[in-house]
Amino acid sequence: MSAALYKQMMRVNLKGFLNYAVGSAFYILLMFWLYPGIAQNARALDDIVATMPEGVGKAFNLSGFGSAEAFISGEYYGLILVLILAIVSVQLSTQLMARLIDRGSMAYLLSTPTTRVRVATTQACVLVSGLLIILGATTLAGFAGKAWLLGDRYAFDAGRFILLNAAAFLMFFAVAGIAFLVSAASNDEKKALGLSGTIVFGFYSLDLLGKLGDSIAWMRDLSIFSLYRPSDIVGDGDFPALGFALLAAIGLAAFVAAVALFKRRDLPL
Amino acid sequence: MLTVEHLTKTFPSGKGIADVTFSVRRGEVFGFLGPNGAGKSTTIRHIMGFMKPDRGRAIVNGMDTWLRQGEVQSAIGYLPGEIAFIDGMTGRGFLDFLSGMQRTQDRARRERLIERLQFDANTPIRKMSKGMKQKVGIVAAFMHDPEVVILDEPTSGLDPLMQKVFVELVLEEKARGKTFLMSSHSFPEIERTCDRAAIIKDGAIVTIADIHELQRMQRKLFEVTFETADEAAAFAASGLQVDSLEGNRVRIAVQGDYGRFAEETTKRRVRNIDVFTQNLEEIFMDYYDRKGTGA
Repeated sequence: MSAALYKQMMRVNLKGFLNYAVGSAFYILLMFWLYPGIAQNARALDDIVATMPEGVGKAFNLSGFGSAEAFISGEYYGLILVLILAIVSVQLSTQLMARLIDRGSMAYLLSTPTTRVRVATTQACVLVSGLLIILGATTLAGFAGKAWLLGDRYAFDAGRFILLNAAAFLMFFAVAGIAFLVSAASNDEKKALGLSGTIVFGFYSLDLLGKLGDSIAWMRDLSIFSLYRPSDIVGDGDFPALGFALLAAIGLAAFVAAVALFKRRDLPL
Repeated sequence: MLTVEHLTKTFPSGKGIADVTFSVRRGEVFGFLGPNGAGKSTTIRHIMGFMKPDRGRAIVNGMDTWLRQGEVQSAIGYLPGEIAFIDGMTGRGFLDFLSGMQRTQDRARRERLIERLQFDANTPIRKMSKGMKQKVGIVAAFMHDPEVVILDEPTSGLDPLMQKVFVELVLEEKARGKTFLMSSHSFPEIERTCDRAAIIKDGAIVTIADIHELQRMQRKLFEVTFETADEAAAFAASGLQVDSLEGNRVRIAVQGDYGRFAEETTKRRVRNIDVFTQNLEEIFMDYYDRKGTGA
C-alpha cells in the first residue's frame, strides 16, 4: 500500500462513491417507507405472485412480504443494488488500472520509488474501499429507516439484515476482483470496460435465466451470482458458509492474480 | 551510472530494438538521437522498467531496472515523451502528490523550479497548454534532485526562451554531477547540452560519437552574397565545395573545415552571409551514404 497514492485516488473518486452511497441510502429508505403499506397487503401480494408463472417470481425475487428484511432482500438486494454495484465494480476497476495504463499516467506512478505490486495493491484497496463505503451507507440507512419509519410495529431481524449486507459485499468483492483482473491485464481502457462488463452482466444474465425455468436451471451453476441468494439469507436458511467462503476465495484469487500479472507484464507507457 | 547491455525486444509487429548497448558515465549528458519510431522511447521504457527485455538488461546506479523496479526509481527523474497526468488536479496538486510518492519533502527546490520556468502551478491541468504541461513535467523530473535524469523529447512544446532556460538547467545540474540521458530528434538541442550521443535507427544503434565528431559530421550550407558577380565566380573557383552559383550569390557546403571557408570569404567584399543548418535526417542520410560508399 502506498498512502500517498491511496489518498490521491480516494480524493479523485470520493465524489463518485458518495453519489452512489447517497443514492443507495435514499433508495433503501424509500423501501422502508413503502413497507408498511405492503405489509398490510402481504397476503394479497403473495397471492398475486402465486398467479404469475413460477419462474418470474423467482427470477425477480418476488417472494416474502412478511418481514421488512424479506421485502428489502427481494426488492432491493435482489435487483437494484446488484445493478448499482455491478456498474461501480466494472467502471471503477477500469478507471483504476486500464485507464491509467491507456492514457500513460501509470508512467508517473511507476517512475517513483513504488513497486508495481504496491501500486496495484493500493488501487485494489481503493476499489474495495468504494464498495465498503456504498454498502456501509446502505446498511446504516437501513437501520435508520427501521428506527424512523418502522419502529417496533413491524418484524425486522437486525442480524439477518447485516448478514444480507455482508453477502452483498462478498458478492461484489468477487465481481470487482474479476473486473480488476481484466483491467490490470488490459492496455486499452475501452476494451477493458467492454470485456469486464460483458463478463459481469453475462454472469448476471445466466443467473437470471436459470431462475426462470427448471429446464435451464443449470445455467445458474455457471454463474457466480448463484452464490448470492439474498432471499435465502433472510429466509429460514442456514448460514451460507460455503457460498461466503467461495465468494471470498474467488475475489481474493482474482485480486492476487491481477497484482501478479501486473507485476510481470510489459506496459506500453 | 547508466548502462544498457545488449538490450533486445521484439514486438509482435516485428518492430523493436536489437542489441542496444551503451553506457553513460556519472556527470555526463548523453544524447539519444534518431528519427521517430527508431526505438528511442522503447529503449527508455526498458530503462524505466516498464518493459521486460527479451535479452540484455538496463542498469542504473548498479541496479537492474526490471528486477529492482520500485527501488532503482529513487535515483531517477523521468520526463515521459507523452505527458499524461491524473484527472482533476492542478499543477501544484499533481506535484504535491508526486512528492508524496517520491517521499521527498524539500519544497524549496520545487518552488525555485516553478519560478524559473515561469508558470502558474495553480492552473488545473486540463486547462493547461502543451508547453505548460511540459513545464510541469520538467519540474516533476527535477524536483526530487535525482542522480540520473531521463528526458524523452524534453523541449517539445517549449518556446525558444524556455528552451534556453531548460538548457541552462541541464548544464547546471550536470555541473553538480548529475547524469542525463536525453532523447531528441532535434540536433541543436543535443548539440548545446550533450557530451556524447548515440544515433539509433530501425531499432539498432548506428553510431555512438563524441558531440564534436557529430558536429563535424554536420554539413552546413553557407549562402554568401558578394558585391560583384566576378568576386562570386572567383570564390566559387577557389576549391571549396560549391552547391550553386547564381549571379553574385554562391552556396557553399562546409563540413568541419570552417577555417578555410572563412579565409576564402574574407579575401573578397561580402554583402551578406546566410546559414542553412542540416537537420538530423540529412545528417543521417549523409552518414549512411558515406558508410555505404566507404565500405
